[in-house]
Amino acid sequence: MSKRQKRIIMLAAVFALSFGIGPAANAMHIMEGYLPGGYCIAWGVLCVPFIIAGFMSIKKKLAEHRNLITLLAMSGAFVFVISSLKIPSVSGSCSHMTGTGLGAILFGPSAVSILGLIVLLFQALLLGHGGLTTIGANTFSMAIAGPFVSYGIYTVCKKANVNRKVSVFLAAALGDFFTYCVTACQMALAHHADTTIGGALVKFLAVFAPTQIPLAIIEGILTVVIVMGLESYAKPELKAIGFLKEAK
Amino acid sequence: MITIDKLCYNSKLRYENAGEKFAFAVITLCICVMSRSISVACIVLAATGILTVYKGGIPASRYIKYLTAPLAFLLLSTIAIMFQVSRTPLDLFAIPVGGWYITSSTDSFHYAVQLILTALGAVSCLYFLSFTTPMPDILEVLRKLHVPALMIELMLLIYRFIFVLLHVASSISISQDCRLGNKDYKTALKSFGMLGSVLMVRAVGRSNRLYDAMEARCYDGRIRVLSESRPPKKKVICWIAAFDTVLFLFAVWRRWLI
Repeated sequence: MSKRQKRIIMLAAVFALSFGIGPAANAMHIMEGYLPGGYCIAWGVLCVPFIIAGFMSIKKKLAEHRNLITLLAMSGAFVFVISSLKIPSVSGSCSHMTGTGLGAILFGPSAVSILGLIVLLFQALLLGHGGLTTIGANTFSMAIAGPFVSYGIYTVCKKANVNRKVSVFLAAALGDFFTYCVTACQMALAHHADTTIGGALVKFLAVFAPTQIPLAIIEGILTVVIVMGLESYAKPELKAIGFLKEAK
Repeated sequence: MITIDKLCYNSKLRYENAGEKFAFAVITLCICVMSRSISVACIVLAATGILTVYKGGIPASRYIKYLTAPLAFLLLSTIAIMFQVSRTPLDLFAIPVGGWYITSSTDSFHYAVQLILTALGAVSCLYFLSFTTPMPDILEVLRKLHVPALMIELMLLIYRFIFVLLHVASSISISQDCRLGNKDYKTALKSFGMLGSVLMVRAVGRSNRLYDAMEARCYDGRIRVLSESRPPKKKVICWIAAFDTVLFLFAVWRRWLI
């Protein structure tokens, strides 16, 4: 084997390894301490109106139907558990769903913003995904931006009479994809050492694309399977959840 | 099923006052994130590491494993920060590819190292909190900080339900494994979908039964749980205040006076 061949094999091995590790970086939580203080505060402040709106709507709904509190809490726990389960992935390494697309379709975006905030706090404290200082940025990308896009796409598709499977797939996959874009934006805004923000954005998008784009597609497929399963087995339960969705 | 939760109930620092631990972790975290200096991050990493492993009695191997868990994210994003593709080579190194260079400057290398260390320091603060303080104690602290009662109640219920649902999910996935539910990729996807939908059905059923049980025990919109009171110790507060003041002054000195 010539020196050149050896070098090529080495390089290939390094690439394969780095992609093998890659997918373990699940659903794009920005890790603790990654954003400078100013950005943490700014993203947190940006979330506040959404959180307050979500809180008010939940509070109003609970005042009318007090029994919804356990259902709401179960929904939050459901999103947490779904996002902590290993999903089958092509490369055999472990990756996770965000679960927020599914949440938005089932429970509506306003409930998901509050549930998402709580779930992200638990993920930080119990699993070490994400963090306390970056919770504002993570809430914005995963509990607000993603679910709102998912819900928007889902409603538009429903109005336009698109096939349900297709609309659920599009909502979940594009919601996930949007979350990934927003996260890349957040990181590019905070860290652009010696390029412009645009250059940094392209680099962040490129680096995370190999793990996140397949993940978005898998998330879409899984969400379709789950929603289809629910529609065939669980009509009464879906009706119960419908109560949560009216809380807008 | 959630290892951090199990470990924190066994920590030797578990019965310290939760407010003290919370204040220490959060203030140190803020100083570490705001200062963004390598030396502050190293001090924080050492201090919280010693506290968690030596004082708290968390196995060192577990601690290191958790500390390196976010490394994949760190690695990928550092690649994006450090490497440039440009026509002109920069000062640290440059690998020519066609007419372009994959290159990096000393400045951005320094920036990346600083970022990695700050992130690790911050993560170690977070782990100090989650490896020593059980979730109900943290919720008690949040209640004292006047987080709305509805939020606390939701968090308490969600915390409980997470374990219920995880138990259900793990038994479902064991029985799916027994029945060759993961034999190839297509079945695995289908099984996961079925797991998800059955989990939802179970969750709704459980939540209805739980509400009935709460109603039977005179639930009036408020869940009252007894909290054990462990009064804060003066000595500990003094230590925390001293450590954080020194750290803060050190951070200010590194940042502005050098």
